[in-house]
Amino acid sequence: MNPRFVLLVICLLVWACAGRARADAQIPPKVWSSAALYNLGNAYARAGKPGLAVLNYERARLLAPNDSDVEANLLVVRRALELPTEPEGRLRAAVAGVSPTTAAWIGVGGWALIATALLAGRACARRPWLRRTAVIAGAALIGFTVANGVALWPRLHEAIVIAGATPVRVSPAPLGDALFTLKEAELVTTAGEHDGFVLVRSTAGRTGWVWHADLVSVVPQR
Amino acid sequence: MNTHPLDRGKLLAAFTTCLIAASAFASAPVFNETLVPSQISIGESAQLRIKSSGADRQPPKLPVVPGLEFRVIEQLEGVELIHGATLATITTVIRVTPQIAGTFVIPEVSPGAQPLMLRVNPANFGGSSILRHGIAGETTTGDIRMMEDDSAFLRILADRRDVYVGETVPIAIELGARAGAVSSLNGLPTLTGNDFTLNDMSHQPDRKETVINDEPFLVLTWHTVIAPVKPGQFPLSVEVPLTIRISTRPKREALLEDQLGDPFMQRRFGTSVRKDIKAVSPPFVLTVEALPVEGRPREFSGAVGAFQISSDISSATAAAGDPLTLRMHVTGSGNFDRVDSAMLMHVERWKTYPPTSSFKAADALGFKGEKIFEQPVIASTAGAQVLPALTFAYFDPSTRHYETARSPPLSVMVSAPAADVVPTASAAPSGAAPSGAPLLREAWSRGLRPDRTTPRVLADSLTPLYFRPPVVAIEAVLVLALAGFWLWQHAVLAGRKGLPREKVLPDNIRRALNEMDEAARTGDGARFFSLARHALQETLAARWQTSAALITSGEVDVRLGRDGEALQIRRLFARADEVAYAGQAIRTEELTHWSELVHRQALGAPS
Repeated sequence: MNPRFVLLVICLLVWACAGRARADAQIPPKVWSSAALYNLGNAYARAGKPGLAVLNYERARLLAPNDSDVEANLLVVRRALELPTEPEGRLRAAVAGVSPTTAAWIGVGGWALIATALLAGRACARRPWLRRTAVIAGAALIGFTVANGVALWPRLHEAIVIAGATPVRVSPAPLGDALFTLKEAELVTTAGEHDGFVLVRSTAGRTGWVWHADLVSVVPQR
Repeated sequence: MNTHPLDRGKLLAAFTTCLIAASAFASAPVFNETLVPSQISIGESAQLRIKSSGADRQPPKLPVVPGLEFRVIEQLEGVELIHGATLATITTVIRVTPQIAGTFVIPEVSPGAQPLMLRVNPANFGGSSILRHGIAGETTTGDIRMMEDDSAFLRILADRRDVYVGETVPIAIELGARAGAVSSLNGLPTLTGNDFTLNDMSHQPDRKETVINDEPFLVLTWHTVIAPVKPGQFPLSVEVPLTIRISTRPKREALLEDQLGDPFMQRRFGTSVRKDIKAVSPPFVLTVEALPVEGRPREFSGAVGAFQISSDISSATAAAGDPLTLRMHVTGSGNFDRVDSAMLMHVERWKTYPPTSSFKAADALGFKGEKIFEQPVIASTAGAQVLPALTFAYFDPSTRHYETARSPPLSVMVSAPAADVVPTASAAPSGAAPSGAPLLREAWSRGLRPDRTTPRVLADSLTPLYFRPPVVAIEAVLVLALAGFWLWQHAVLAGRKGLPREKVLPDNIRRALNEMDEAARTGDGARFFSLARHALQETLAARWQTSAALITSGEVDVRLGRDGEALQIRRLFARADEVAYAGQAIRTEELTHWSELVHRQALGAPS
């Protein structure tokens, strides 16, 4: 590979990264707290607004995946509404049990290990097993981070229905026919947006368009 | 004359009987209805004669038949002698003029009479009796230019001669046919020239009878609109296909035909031939101006005319997220096909959709009417919301300026939706639960775990760190950097920089080269030279299709000569023997030199 090409790609990526960072800097900073989200979820639950309660529990769970209180209260609300509560698989629970921030740092550690092993390759040329072990360990750490990202990726496209008996329409138009209705606090997967309507897929696998005000994304969109 | 007294008495009795019978007969009026002819064409008229007789004779009441016009032409009083009795009669002559084609049933005027049938065919000027009975009080002169044979005239009438591009101009096309001269109309008027567009003229023309230069004429008038497509001065004319009747008799004798009111008599005594012609109107020059550029509003869509607008909304109250319909009514006269509006596009706190439109014509031409635009809108925020004023820009040819019509703003009271989005903890709800939720709320309250007092995990974003663009970019840079570093290191250590890498080596040669490189990296000179010789032997054996054991210095001399690369190969063989038996220390530079030689030979690269 031509080193000049590699350098050019790196420069482009750094430039794009800097541009995005500048754009991010213009957004007013907001601090999310898992405890505050949990308390907010409790407040909405007591006020009889299960949609917003579930939304805030899900957000709290994103920051603190192993928080048993969040899990318990989320279960209480979902069971009260007779919403499906599918247990996660062991592997998924193990991978997604680590917070994304921790997983990200684990990945950084893996990169550092591999880089060190490669850079020190000449120094430990007489002990290649050490180098190989370091590379394998680094790759494993990176793999764990990737698995964590894969497990959490669907959460980025999940949304909670916050209005009762939300009509799911056949087309993104206000007067379109309603295919079916969604319960409040139901979890849906979003697949697109058009003219204020969001294309959703319910947990039962049905698809349709919902007015955007009836949904809130678990991970707020920019 | 002598008469017997008895006979005299008989005669008196008979006369008295007749008188009584006559008076009895005359006491009930008797009607006799005839319709001639019973089949005509549009443009012709039939005669309905109703004769009433008897003591109570009186003019009949005119029947009412949709599509037929009845008009009393004259009433004739007379006396008839029936069975020796005189009977006074009144004959009413009624002209029946069809407005449309079809078969009509004229109801009986008197009880017991049979209804009359009248069949009316489409346009045909064959029967001209109608003109014979035309009201002669109206005489038209002026700019009418008759055709050469004075059988007809065709002209265009319009209010204005100065118009603008795109403006719709109502015009009237007038065809006058002299009585008995025009036999049939063979088509609708067509416009000559491509500088105008003409609306559909499939509707029935207006009809009237008039007298021009003491001659009765039937005048058909089509109303339509034209629209000029480009500026300039354009002569406008129309043409109509006709069949005319040309008289072959001298005019003096032909006057007799005109005096014969009955079409049957006209046809019998008239001597004429028919000829298809195309009547062309004299040019009607229109001056078309381009619309001014100065002062043209941005939202002007090409509407030219006089318009007014108004607006309304489907409901003055709604919940946030509910769809409403905003309507804009554009009324007036002009080119409605160019009346267009985007209505509201970007309104704060409202979601708007593209409007649709429909048109209701107030006249047959579509020149006057109402165009309604309907736009779905959705309020996104609760509270008293206002939809801003709607505007519509058009060009008014009477003022010669662009005008902008405005409708007043509309107020809508928007209530809160079923649930609202509260993204921050500071906006925790404190209001009452929605109706129907108390039981659930109690259940939740009992099962919920208590609130927290200390914050645990803090983050500036809910997006996982490794999905954020800066981190993704850094990860990509790391991957590329590591890949580049690995490739670079591999190329340097293998000493193959600049050599072709695409070549696929046989497994035995590749294995020998790898082991040789490993020996070079570890600095094991004896093993290196042994493996280098082995690799060379394998390479040359594969090239010469022989066994590796047969590759010796002599074989190299024979095949490659004694200089150049062959010399280097022989030296490597000799050096390998020296190192194997003498155990000399080898410098790294020398190993690199011989390694490059072996790789060159293996890859077949030139020296």
